[in-house]
Amino acid sequence: MRMSLAQRVLLTWLFTLLFLIMLVLKLDEKAPWNWFLIFIPVWIFDTILLVMLIVKMAGRCKSGYDPRNGSQNIKKKAWYLIAMLLKLAFCLVLCAKLEQFTEMKLVYVFIPLWALLAGGIIELGYNIFRARRD
Amino acid sequence: MLFSLRELVQWLGFATFELLLQAGALALFSLLLVLKLDGVAALSWWGVFGPFFAADGLSTYFTAIVSVRLFQDGEKRLAVLRLFWVLTLLSLNLKFVFEMLLCQKLVEQTPELWYGLIMSPVFILLQLLMIRACRVN
Repeated sequence: MRMSLAQRVLLTWLFTLLFLIMLVLKLDEKAPWNWFLIFIPVWIFDTILLVMLIVKMAGRCKSGYDPRNGSQNIKKKAWYLIAMLLKLAFCLVLCAKLEQFTEMKLVYVFIPLWALLAGGIIELGYNIFRARRD
Repeated sequence: MLFSLRELVQWLGFATFELLLQAGALALFSLLLVLKLDGVAALSWWGVFGPFFAADGLSTYFTAIVSVRLFQDGEKRLAVLRLFWVLTLLSLNLKFVFEMLLCQKLVEQTPELWYGLIMSPVFILLQLLMIRACRVN
């Protein structure tokens, strides 16, 4: 069963709103919480997305699955999975840095984000030029 | 992932090229931010936020051209709606105001400018995006 656009938007909107409210409370020093607690909406949202992605990928392993069934190819799904893990890694390292659990330089914290952005930019560029070629 | 590119374009009201522009600006901004915070380069906060301002400017320019073309082709309603939406989102209001306020706060560290106030354009933006999603759906 696929969620409608409104349901997916509502899910994204709700978790973004919750995260922003908690972030504002933390930055304005109204809530003396740990940074890992502030990121709870992000952890929950990422977990939902990861579970949805893994269930979709696992659906290919079912017997009788026809790969020509019009579904997205496995390479694209694998890229989405890597992108999710990169985002999760960035958020985890950022929280660890903000909580001063580690003394690492900021450049190492941002490496997963840059990898994610590079992949996203390549995909967007590919879509633009493919559309132009067609 | 959660949304296809086509759904994102419909929902956000941006062309794919504009999304690419904003993603590029975010990458450049994060690079400059790291250079500043790691003490590698002595950049001002206005310089660090420069890529976002440039992307907003280019996006507005792109939208103006698209709107003029749409207007010439007789799609007047579509042209006005697109121009109005992008101007609300990027150049005149929400995103631009948020970036300006955040930059001001980081430069001057004024206690009157609290983060709830700085984030208020983002909260308005979220409500507008929710309304737009219902319309698109």
